[in-house]
Amino acid sequence: MDWGKIWVIARHEYLTSVRRLGFIIMTAAVPALGVVGLLLAMLLGGETRQIGDFLARQFEGADQPIGVVDESGFFSPIRPEYGEDFVPFLSEGAASDAVESGEISAALLVPEDYLETGRVVVLTVGSGFGAVEVGDSSDVRAFMVEHLLAGRVDEEIRERTARPLRPESRVISGGETRGEGPLSFVFTFVVPYMLSFFLIMTIFVSSGYLLRSVATEKETRVVELIISSVQPMELMAGKVMGLGAVGLTQVVVWLLSAIAFSGGLVAIVAAAGALVIPIRVMVLGVVYYLLGYTLYAILMAGIGALGTTMQESQQLAGFFSFFAAIPYMLSGFLFANPNALVARILSFFPLTAATMMMLRLPLAEVPWMDVAGSIAVLAASIPGALWVGAKLFRVGLLIYGKRPTVKEIWGIVTSKS
Amino acid sequence: MVIHVAGLVKRYREVVAVDELSFEVSKGELFGLLGPNGAGKTTTIRIIMDILQPDEGEVTVLGARPADAKERVGYLPEERGLFRDVKVLDTLIYLAELKGVSRADARRRGWALLERVDLDEWADRKVKDLSRGMQQRLQFIASLVHDPDLLILDEPFQGLDPVNTERLKGFVDDLREAGKTIVLSTHQMNLVEALCDRILLIHHGRAVLYDHLDAIKEEHAPNTVRLRSRETVSHLAGEIPGVLLVEADDGAFNLTLDEGVDPQDVLRHLVERRIDVREFEVAPVPLEDIFVEVVGGEET
Repeated sequence: MDWGKIWVIARHEYLTSVRRLGFIIMTAAVPALGVVGLLLAMLLGGETRQIGDFLARQFEGADQPIGVVDESGFFSPIRPEYGEDFVPFLSEGAASDAVESGEISAALLVPEDYLETGRVVVLTVGSGFGAVEVGDSSDVRAFMVEHLLAGRVDEEIRERTARPLRPESRVISGGETRGEGPLSFVFTFVVPYMLSFFLIMTIFVSSGYLLRSVATEKETRVVELIISSVQPMELMAGKVMGLGAVGLTQVVVWLLSAIAFSGGLVAIVAAAGALVIPIRVMVLGVVYYLLGYTLYAILMAGIGALGTTMQESQQLAGFFSFFAAIPYMLSGFLFANPNALVARILSFFPLTAATMMMLRLPLAEVPWMDVAGSIAVLAASIPGALWVGAKLFRVGLLIYGKRPTVKEIWGIVTSKS
Repeated sequence: MVIHVAGLVKRYREVVAVDELSFEVSKGELFGLLGPNGAGKTTTIRIIMDILQPDEGEVTVLGARPADAKERVGYLPEERGLFRDVKVLDTLIYLAELKGVSRADARRRGWALLERVDLDEWADRKVKDLSRGMQQRLQFIASLVHDPDLLILDEPFQGLDPVNTERLKGFVDDLREAGKTIVLSTHQMNLVEALCDRILLIHHGRAVLYDHLDAIKEEHAPNTVRLRSRETVSHLAGEIPGVLLVEADDGAFNLTLDEGVDPQDVLRHLVERRIDVREFEVAPVPLEDIFVEVVGGEET
C-alpha cells in the first residue's frame, strides 16, 4: 500500500465531491431551512410570534400559570406556595380569554358538585392533548390534594399525600451505581441516540458518494486508467477515506447549523452529555464509529463496483445499509434490555456490531467480553471485507455492460485473481 | 528487454483468453500487437499493466514485476474516458500524481503537453466542455503526462478524424525518436504498416505471426509481379518460363509466377523479347491480406 497515492486519491475525491453543486445544495439545505424560518419570522412579524409562542408553550408549559375558576370553594383562596403557578379567575369568560391570549396555559373550571363527581373542566387551546396533559400533571394533582386536605390533616401527611414519592435513579451493575439524578436519565437516551444517528447518517451519506464516485468512474471508463496506476486496494482506501471525510463534513455542517438555529440547545445537551457519559463510553463510541464506518465503506465500494448503473449499485448497497439500521430499529426494546440475548448476539455480528454496541454502551455496564468480542469481530472483519471488497472492486470495475449474477460474484470472490 | 512475456496463460472459467503466449519487446521499438476481436490483445495488455493476474507464465516489464513497473508505463486503454466534472489541467495533474510525480512537476508537464496538442487555452475548463476530438487528444496526453519509458496504446486511433489521426501519428513518431518504447494495438493495418517495426499477431490467444514487418511481408508475398506495358501481354502465360497466369488489372497486368521463380529472370526474358516495359515491380502484399489469410477471414 502506497500511502502517498492513497492520500492523493482521498484528496481528489474530497475536493471534487465538495465542489459539486449537488453536494453544496444538499449541505446547504439544512442551514437554508433555518434561514428561511428566520426570514419568515421577521417578515410575518406578529403572526409568526403566535406560532413561536405556541411552540414555546410546548416546551415551557410548566412555566406558565394555570387559571382556576373555583365554584366549589375548596380552592379559594389559593395557598401562597402555589401562587406563582395557579391564578384565580372569577368567571369562565375571563379565564377563557386569558387562555386564548396565552396569558395562562390552561384553566380549570371546578363546579359546585366537585366533591361528589370529581368533574373538572379543563380549558386549553389547540388539541385535546393539552387537557389530558393537565389532568395527568403531578403539579396539578398536588395542587388539588393540598387544597382539599388543608387544615384537615397533619401538614406532613398533607404534603406526602400530595407528592407521595420523589424517584431517584440508581442503576446497579458490577457493584457500581451510576446515573444519579433526573438529568442523566435524559442523557443516557439522548446522547447515544445522537451518536448512533450520526454514525448511521454518515454511513448513508458517504456510501451514497462512494457509489456515485465508483459508478461514474466505471461509466466514464476512466477507471481502467486509474487502476493501471494504483492498486485497486489503494484506490478503494483513498475513496473510503476521502468520501468518508465528505460525509463527515456534511453531517458536521448539518449539526452545527442545527446547533446555531436551535439557540445552542443541542450543544448544551451534548456538552452536558459529555460530562455525564463516562470517558470509557465516549472512547469506545469513537472506536466503534471508526470501525463501523470503515467496514461499511469498504463493502459499499466493493458492491458498488458490481452495478452497471447507479441504480443497480444503489439497490445492491441498500441491502447492506439495512443491517446498520437493525439495532436502531430495536432501540425501543434495547433501552429496557441493553444486555438481552438478541442484543449480545447482534454485537458479535460484523454488520450490526458497531451500531449495536454504540447503543448499548451508555445504557448499561456491558460485559467486557462483549466489548472485546465485538471489537475483535470488527477488526477481523475489516481485512476480510477489504479482501473481498477489493476483489469485487477489481473485477467489477472492468465488467462493462451487464451486472454479474450471484454465481458469477461468488466465482470472483473464490477465484485466484 | 522492455517487455518479456513467456508462456502466458489466462483463463476466464472455461474460456482460454491467452494461451501459452510468448514475446518480447526491445527498447526503442514500436511494436504492433494485432489480432481480431476477442483474440486476447486487451487481456495481454491488462496483464502487462498489472490490472489482471496471469494464471500461468512469466511477465516482466522494464525488468521488474508488472506491479513494480506501473509508474514507468503509460497506458491508453481501449475503454477510455476522463472525469467529466474535473478541470482539464487538474485531470492531468491528478493522473500524474497517481504515477508518483510531484504536484509541481505534474503541473509543469501537464502545461507543456496541453500546449503541444493546442489545449492550453482549455486548461481551466471542465473536461465535459471539450469537443470529442479535444477529449481524445487529452486522453492521449494523459497517458504520457508522467514521462513513461514504455507506452501502451490500445486502439489509439479509434474514432479519430483524419486530422487528429495525422496529428497523433506525428506525436507517436516524435516519442519514438525520443527513445520511448511503444506498443501499439490496433485493427488499422495501414497504420501498423506505416509505424511498426515488428508485430505480433494473436489469434485465439496464441501467437500466429511474430517477426519484423518486412520479414513477414516477404514470407507472405504471393510471388506475383506487376507489369505495366503499352502492349497486350495476356499471351505471355506459358511463353515465358515460370509465368503461370497473366491477369489484366486496372491498366496493368499481374503475372503469377511458379514457385521458386525469380522475378529477375522474368524481367530478363521480357527485355530479351523486346516487350515494352513501363513499370515492373514485385507486387506488394498488404498486411491486411496477410491478416485475413492467417486468421481465416474471420471478422476483424
